[in-house]
Amino acid sequence: MSTATTVAPHVKPTQLISGTFVTTDIGCTRRMCEQLLGLECVEPEPGTLLVRESGHQPGGALAGQPYWVLEAREVAKVEVPQEMLNHWGVFVSSQAAVDAAFEKVSAHQKDFGIGRVQKPRFRHGSYAFYFVDGDSNWWEIEYRTPELLYTTLREKGDQH
Amino acid sequence: MPEPMIKPELLSHGTIECSDIAATRRFLTEFLGIDVVRPLPEAQYLWKGGPWSVVCVRIEDAEAKEQGPQNHFKLSVATAAEVDSAHAAALAQKDTYGIRTVGPIEEQAGIRSFKLQDLNRHWWEITTASQRYYDEIFAKGEARA
Repeated sequence: MSTATTVAPHVKPTQLISGTFVTTDIGCTRRMCEQLLGLECVEPEPGTLLVRESGHQPGGALAGQPYWVLEAREVAKVEVPQEMLNHWGVFVSSQAAVDAAFEKVSAHQKDFGIGRVQKPRFRHGSYAFYFVDGDSNWWEIEYRTPELLYTTLREKGDQH
Repeated sequence: MPEPMIKPELLSHGTIECSDIAATRRFLTEFLGIDVVRPLPEAQYLWKGGPWSVVCVRIEDAEAKEQGPQNHFKLSVATAAEVDSAHAAALAQKDTYGIRTVGPIEEQAGIRSFKLQDLNRHWWEITTASQRYYDEIFAKGEARA
């Protein structure tokens, strides 16, 4: 079920292509994204880090598929600290994978400059936990059953 | 590189706050051209062009937190002319959709764009940067490699 407006919008985007955040230590953010979160990173210029899920390189499992990019800029100071309701999320394959990720994040908290790590819990049918990095950026590791995947919810249309 | 500790299937979502779900939806769909679905009373999910979403959470009895322009989402449009027409529309429709700020059009390394701050104090960038643009950057690799 499409939920797009029936009137032509003023902007005609083809893709939600990127989200951005800031870091005071791009090296630390990169290590966390690559070594902990399993994301692909590149620094095309000093002070800029681009992040996407792994597998999109030619020959990879997701080559040719659409993706979006997180762009991190290195700053001297985080001017607008983020809160839990402003976070970035990744999906993992099972509830057990969330639990395993929680153990990894907790065990390597200091290695990646991570702050608070919340315990996994069920919420609206998904199973997830949150943690905050050293620059107040919050991250969520989440498992969703197939009926709760975004693509499924889009098909179902508005429920409220 | 060693195996990562976590192996996600998808970089799945970002989040924003809103204080008025209906007004926010009108801005997102009528102005920004984003698709929206509301599976929960307190949240609507936004998307355009892929399986990832931005989750928009309603804040009860408060206004959404002010964000800086360095925390924003980018929407890709097909041409530079579409950036220009979106910019003109943002200026013309500011009051209709509660747009707080419309930044100037900028051009850098062949990418044309501008930023605006919406009714919930979030920033959006309308840009000609496309997935092909990012493909080339990831393929090229490190600046200092």
